[in-house]
Amino acid sequence: MPGKAAFALIFCLSASLLFAQEQAAKKGSDRVKDTFERVMAQAESATAVSHQVKDVFERAAKAVVKIHGVDEHSPICGTGFFIDPTGTLYTAYTVGGEAGNFTIEFGGKKYPAHQLLADIRSGTAMLKIDAPTPALPIGKSEGLEVATPVIAVGYPLDLPETPNFGMIAGFDRKYLGRYFSTTHLRVNLPTQRGEAGAPLLNMKGEVVGIVVSSLENNSACYAVPIEAAEKIRGDFMRFGEARHGWIGINVSMARQPVEGSVAEMKQIMEDTPAARSGIKSGDILLQVGRKRVTQPEDVLDASFFITAGDIVPITVMRGNQKLTFSVQATLHPASRSGVLLASPGTPAINQQAIPLSLGSDVPPTP
Amino acid sequence: MDEFDDNEIARLLRLKRYEQPPPGYFENFLHEFHRRQRDEMLRQPLWRICLERAHGFMLRLDVRSLASYPAAVAAVLVCAAVVSLKIYQQPETARVALQSPPALSAPASAEGEWSLTSPVATQIFRTQPVRRFNESAQTHRAGAPPRYVLDSVPVSYEPTFRF
Repeated sequence: MPGKAAFALIFCLSASLLFAQEQAAKKGSDRVKDTFERVMAQAESATAVSHQVKDVFERAAKAVVKIHGVDEHSPICGTGFFIDPTGTLYTAYTVGGEAGNFTIEFGGKKYPAHQLLADIRSGTAMLKIDAPTPALPIGKSEGLEVATPVIAVGYPLDLPETPNFGMIAGFDRKYLGRYFSTTHLRVNLPTQRGEAGAPLLNMKGEVVGIVVSSLENNSACYAVPIEAAEKIRGDFMRFGEARHGWIGINVSMARQPVEGSVAEMKQIMEDTPAARSGIKSGDILLQVGRKRVTQPEDVLDASFFITAGDIVPITVMRGNQKLTFSVQATLHPASRSGVLLASPGTPAINQQAIPLSLGSDVPPTP
Repeated sequence: MDEFDDNEIARLLRLKRYEQPPPGYFENFLHEFHRRQRDEMLRQPLWRICLERAHGFMLRLDVRSLASYPAAVAAVLVCAAVVSLKIYQQPETARVALQSPPALSAPASAEGEWSLTSPVATQIFRTQPVRRFNESAQTHRAGAPPRYVLDSVPVSYEPTFRF
């Protein structure tokens, strides 16, 4: 009997040991399988992204052109892209703003081009060739978020069109202590010389920005949101020139927030639309047009999109009263002087000339 | 010599017979000799040494055969100066010649070209260039290599929160 019991015990122990081993092997196998599937999924995802980038590049590259020009120092090369089928193209101000004798390399041919408009406030320029062209669809930069993937197509150095893949890294209003006229897109996307004016595309192939400068070591770049360029284009289509608006208010930081805003009217300049409208210094700015204002910095974006001649509703808090004033913007003083705001150190050769043909009879926005 | 008699001298000579120079004396003799000679020479001022060297050099050469060398060197220097002056003065001349005309075109009249009643998409572009390049300053030399544009800072700039 003891022998049989011992045998049964040994048998049971062996069986349970085998079962445990089998379970462990099965678990290990499942884990390996899971890891393998995850790696495969990642590989498939990377392949899918690669295909998407390739697809966008192949579609967009047809409308992206190399721009040759001559400025007062030397011949220059940059990038641009068509935005309509009649040969109108966007580029950076540094490419199309202060140069001339433009030639566009497009479809294996060279076309002479001329400047339609250059605007240093947005950092963009518009050129035109007289030929039917493909055009890139215009998207919206407002839908972008940090880490949204984007693609740029440009002509680096003397190389052919090249795709660059990166992501939105931030939305900056200032860089190295200098404020931009409007928020710029900071993009973690490597750029090379010659790619100024390249289109920044979302994964649908729509233009969301225009590359205007590089950052440290060319590992990243700044792009002007496409809405800023479209604002200038809209001005051009309405008036034949860029018309930056001017209200005449100097804004600073309030001591304490009112209705969530710390943007206080510090100074109302004499003989300006603001002075005539009844806005007073000490009012807290809440809204300009459709743009809500909570910080003094917010007026940069709010004011950039004002067009001279437009009626702009401005909402303020005066004591406990919320007031809305309708103000007709006039031409920006920098535009009136014929020299727009240039960066420090830039010679005063910003002759993009918004001619002062604007009187008091500017038609308001339809 | 009065202090030593013959015997004394003979004794000293016997002693000297067994005296040996230190090890390596003969091997270093020539080197030591040159060193001492150099030390002796360097006691003179530098200008005198240079003068003597130059004098010795000139004596070894035939001066008359070398008379044409300074003239050739002077001619080469004059040519280089003239060529460099021509190269650097060329752009300045172009700047003066071309900067005088105004760089901006006259404002276009919007009357005949724009109709705000029509849809925006059907409006006709004013396709004249805003400014003509031949009116602007051009100072670069022909054949200069192209500059591939990408600035390190955006040009857009707003000095204050004014609008």
